[in-house]
Amino acid sequence: MKKSDLNFDYKFGFSMPEKNIFKAEKGLNKQIVEDISSLKKEPVWMKEFRLKAYDAFTKRKMPNWGADLSGINFDDIYYYIKPTEKQVNSWEDLPKEIKDTYDRIGVPEAEKNFLSGVSAQYESEVVYESINRELNKRGVIFCDMDTALRKYPEIVKEYFGTLISPYDNKFASLNSAAWSGGSFVYIPRGVKVPMPLQAYFRINAERFGQFERTLIIAEEGSFVHYIEGCTAPIYTTASLHSAVVEIFVKKGARVRYTTVQNWSHNIYNLVTKRSIVDEEGIMEWVDCNIGSGVTMKYPSVILKGRKSHGEVLSIAYANKGQHQDAGAKMYHLAPETTSRIISKSISKDGGRTSYRGLVSVSPGAKNSKVYVSCDALLMDESSRSDTYPYMRINEKDCEVQHEATVEKLGEEKLFYLTSRGIKKPEAETLLVNGFIEPVIKEIPLEYSIELNRLIRMEMAGSVG
Amino acid sequence: MKYIDLNKTKQTKLMFDKPGNYTVFFHNLSGEFDFNIKSSGVNLDILGLFVGKKSDQFELKTNQYHIAPGSTSNLLIKGVFDDKSKFIYQGLIKIEKTGQKSHAYQKNKNLILSSGVYVDSRPFLEILANDVFCTHGSTTGKINEESLFYLKSRGLDQKIAEQLYVSGFIQEIFDKIKPYSHPILTSEVRTSLA
Repeated sequence: MKKSDLNFDYKFGFSMPEKNIFKAEKGLNKQIVEDISSLKKEPVWMKEFRLKAYDAFTKRKMPNWGADLSGINFDDIYYYIKPTEKQVNSWEDLPKEIKDTYDRIGVPEAEKNFLSGVSAQYESEVVYESINRELNKRGVIFCDMDTALRKYPEIVKEYFGTLISPYDNKFASLNSAAWSGGSFVYIPRGVKVPMPLQAYFRINAERFGQFERTLIIAEEGSFVHYIEGCTAPIYTTASLHSAVVEIFVKKGARVRYTTVQNWSHNIYNLVTKRSIVDEEGIMEWVDCNIGSGVTMKYPSVILKGRKSHGEVLSIAYANKGQHQDAGAKMYHLAPETTSRIISKSISKDGGRTSYRGLVSVSPGAKNSKVYVSCDALLMDESSRSDTYPYMRINEKDCEVQHEATVEKLGEEKLFYLTSRGIKKPEAETLLVNGFIEPVIKEIPLEYSIELNRLIRMEMAGSVG
Repeated sequence: MKYIDLNKTKQTKLMFDKPGNYTVFFHNLSGEFDFNIKSSGVNLDILGLFVGKKSDQFELKTNQYHIAPGSTSNLLIKGVFDDKSKFIYQGLIKIEKTGQKSHAYQKNKNLILSSGVYVDSRPFLEILANDVFCTHGSTTGKINEESLFYLKSRGLDQKIAEQLYVSGFIQEIFDKIKPYSHPILTSEVRTSLA
């Protein structure tokens, strides 16, 4: 394959001219936090929440573990940009630049074919949104977080920041202070949403940190599959993406949250994701990290109710200069809870992947079962793979299993494939795609096709 | 063939700079132990046995450093914990860039006999070379119900069945050190288990 095909991360590497109504100064201070809140005409409690969080952010130290975050300059980031004056309801009403951006990512086609609702995020606010009428009728709410705060203040107030407090960690504090956009999903009791809900994210302004905030509430016996996919243009200076996602899974409900993260390589992707699951509920995180320079992300499941189940399936891909520090956390608090973590990572051209995970079984979580499996593939001698699992077991009646392997592509398998007339780069691609297959098959078709294609572009002709 | 009993030699930093087969054994030891592999052709077995009772507390760290290429290290830590005993284990395999064609294995198996027990197991891997094969595994759990049921169905009472299961669980370690160990050593260890 030609050399130019290798630059998949630049596939969406264009940057449209900025046309913004309001852009705060660089850096964050109390005044900017207040300005964001009053510009959005937020209730007093939210303003106080932001100020409290800002205070915590200034006091908290940077984490002294995990990836190298020394390149982040908090004073060199725009914390709020409002792209257009009003939200628009139809595709035609969008400003031309924004429409062009989405056309290149392919949102409209995706929408026509697959989506039951698209909520596209351009810079810090959701500007385009169309929700299937059928879902509305059944009482499903799917809108951006700012709209939710205006239209459904009671629900938002009840849940917002209760699972991830503004004091949780430095980046959760930062998000709580400066958050803007993100999705709000409410699924009423017993409603099963037949198609995945999707939000496309995109950040376009240089040095602009995106701090979206997502809240999903699945009432008793409901089901929803939420997908976030990211593509971002190239920047010349480092950018920060720090999101907070809170998910409440009620009795017997099931939520699946799929992420396909493909930020450009200069972005710090530091995300706090947590869910709490009631009796017999199921929470599944499917997490694919392909892009960004540094990712630190550990989707968590708090198994609070008896017989609840948590699952994290993740793929991490680190190319030159990238460090993917990703993993999962499972807290078993109740009897008969089960969890499963499957992690697959690939390091290439000096890239580094780290699995970092916690499994905690509390006293009383009788008959709990945990299974963790981490497989790492190293493509060349300059790459690195780490595995840092933590298992804290405080209960006798449980089974905790962890296994990990690190290896290179099997010589024998390669030999077999090449002996059948398949060229070496293709054989390698085939093996890598086979390696991540257990996770790929769990994500919707259009994403798995895209992922396979990405991997193929990354692999072709560049190994061996 | 070289056999090293850390309870006797009191070493914490071990260096392997000549090819050969080595077996290291330790029993109920807390502390940090480094295994530096600085030669090719080293074949190292590391065997640890822990039996926790009452308020016993063990804090163990092991580091398998593969600095030279083409060596193998194989670590197995087995623990049986009763009453209010605690076991905190952090194991690291680190393959340096210079450690190509290394094989490194790390396994930690723990049996919990009482609900007052706390086990914290952290099997870490840091791999900087690509032509290697490394695996680690950790299992923690109670006595297998089906095995117990089988033993009881053959007429053994609960207590005897449990004892048989536990002694079978740790036998793996004894089998591996048998060629080197003095019968008195194993009987010493066994008494401490009883």
